[in-house]
Amino acid sequence: MQQEIIISGFGGQGVLSMGKILAYAGLMEGKEVTWMPAYGPEQRGGTANVTVIVSDEKISSPILSTYDTAIVLNQPSLDKFQPLVKPGGTLIYDSFGILDKPTRTDIDAYHIHAMETAAEMKLMKCFNMFVLGGLLKIHPIVSLESVMKALKKTLPERHHKLLPMNEQAILKGMEIIARQEG
Amino acid sequence: MSKIKGAVVVDVNRCKGCNLCVVACPTQTLALTTNEVNHKGYAYSYMAQPDACIGCSSCAIVCPDGCISVYKTPRPAARPAAAACDAPVAQHEPEKVPSVPADAEEGEVLLMKGNEAIAHAAIRCGCDGYFGYPITPQSEVLETLSELKPWETTGMVVLQAESEVASINMLYGGGGTGKRVMTSSSSVGIALMQEGISYMAGAEVPGVIVNVQRGGPGLGTIQPSQSDYNQATRGGGNGDYNLIVLAPNSVQEMADFVDLAFTLAFKYRNPTLILSDGVIGQMMEKVVLPPYKPRRTEEEIAAECPWAANGHGLEKRGVNVITSLELQSVEMEKRNLHLQAKYKEIAENEVRYETTDCEDADYLIVAFGSAARISQKAMSVARQQGLKVGLFRPITLWPFPTKEIHAMAAGKKGVLAVEINAGQMVFDVRAAVAGQAPVAHFGRLGGIVPSPDEIVEALISSFCH
Repeated sequence: MQQEIIISGFGGQGVLSMGKILAYAGLMEGKEVTWMPAYGPEQRGGTANVTVIVSDEKISSPILSTYDTAIVLNQPSLDKFQPLVKPGGTLIYDSFGILDKPTRTDIDAYHIHAMETAAEMKLMKCFNMFVLGGLLKIHPIVSLESVMKALKKTLPERHHKLLPMNEQAILKGMEIIARQEG
Repeated sequence: MSKIKGAVVVDVNRCKGCNLCVVACPTQTLALTTNEVNHKGYAYSYMAQPDACIGCSSCAIVCPDGCISVYKTPRPAARPAAAACDAPVAQHEPEKVPSVPADAEEGEVLLMKGNEAIAHAAIRCGCDGYFGYPITPQSEVLETLSELKPWETTGMVVLQAESEVASINMLYGGGGTGKRVMTSSSSVGIALMQEGISYMAGAEVPGVIVNVQRGGPGLGTIQPSQSDYNQATRGGGNGDYNLIVLAPNSVQEMADFVDLAFTLAFKYRNPTLILSDGVIGQMMEKVVLPPYKPRRTEEEIAAECPWAANGHGLEKRGVNVITSLELQSVEMEKRNLHLQAKYKEIAENEVRYETTDCEDADYLIVAFGSAARISQKAMSVARQQGLKVGLFRPITLWPFPTKEIHAMAAGKKGVLAVEINAGQMVFDVRAAVAGQAPVAHFGRLGGIVPSPDEIVEALISSFCH
């Protein structure tokens, strides 16, 4: 099985690190992974994106023209990637700041109020983990256990005290994701 | 306190948060927002310490987008100096995720970028020195080396040179003493290095150069490309010479080819080029780092490189001279013939390539580096559509696997060279195929990477009428 995912949002929202944690979790489970960022000036603001592939077999191309799942966290990302989701694929969006909702009917669209929930819970720094939780609810590509292991690997030791906070965010994200109505 | 009080007005939605005004401000009046962004998603400049402004307009002068206006008014007299001026500027500790977790074990499967793998591999293969200058998309090489601080462990020197020209001449000097030295850059930077590379080839100085290609010509784009194929495989600088050119197509090969490049460079006393690109450099993938090999001792270097100008000549042996200059034509021709004989030997012994499903194929794709990765996907898409396609991937671009492609092309209905350029390797492919099958080229330019579907379409439109 191969999951081809694009994650896109504002630079600084944790798009690249969310992809990295997902890829690392896949690696923990012995899967093949690639992580290909848009490496331009996006890192300093503007719209950044990363393509993550998690597969049971060796991955050929790290660059794709269509995706199984698109996670979009701002309007430009939604506009850009909605047409590139494969028919029957999944689109996950954070409703905060999205003016034009997804319109395609041949894909499964989900919304997640990650930004609002993160602000309410005062966990803004874990915003991306809410979204990751939502993704894992819809597509359990990797286990929560592997994600926690990946976080432990990627966070510097001095930040390990933040691990429970991240876990809380992932679990909450799994709760708040919902299918787009209408 | 200045007699003038200034006010800075920023056109928030045009500000791209470049920080130049913040740096230029002599009184720390300006700062970038930390909890707000403009319409475009950038942190923007604002007056963090409005009282400190002296209306000097430095910010407006440096603003590249002209989105700052400065207003001035006389400051009311006898006003106590604002203490805020002396307040320390808030500094955030940069938090960077280390590429290798501290608790990683030897031989563990890690996730890292191709550029980071190059840096780790350099330290691990006993590299003595790295000289480089940052340029996207290869800056992580120097960044990772600086972060790993190998000078504290293996004693490897890491130096940010003042330019690419300086880097390559440091390589000439380091390599001339028999040390394992390397540099890395991206297309434009490699173009600057050509004079030094030609000198190294002429004086037979070993060294490793990494090119993480971006689109050209000129400053071009920072996005991936393979348009330096001709530059890499035809020498690149002046004179009759060749570099050994290795083209990795995965993060694992980025790590593995560093030691291989050094081995070949010293075996043949010739500079070796690792020709990568923005895709492989920036992509993260699984990698097992090569085993650790200590740096060679001075005695080992003297034994391996009796030609080296390492400062021990007078008492132990005659004087060694490293130069590419020879004013006597007869001598210079001899030296050229010696180089040509060496290149012939390399061409006979060092050709490397990989084939996937070529034997039963009707069509052949020839591609290297990231184009080969994408072509592999294209190959499976084509096979699903009933087109029997095989993939031939040259690993050494010089020496080029001419004989091997010639043998493989016999009886094929078409050979497609897929490159992220306007058609460079296709000339070598056409020469190798030598009329046995039609040869076509497909590529995208300007930093656009072709998609697997486009490659299949190109194959069909070129050969299936």
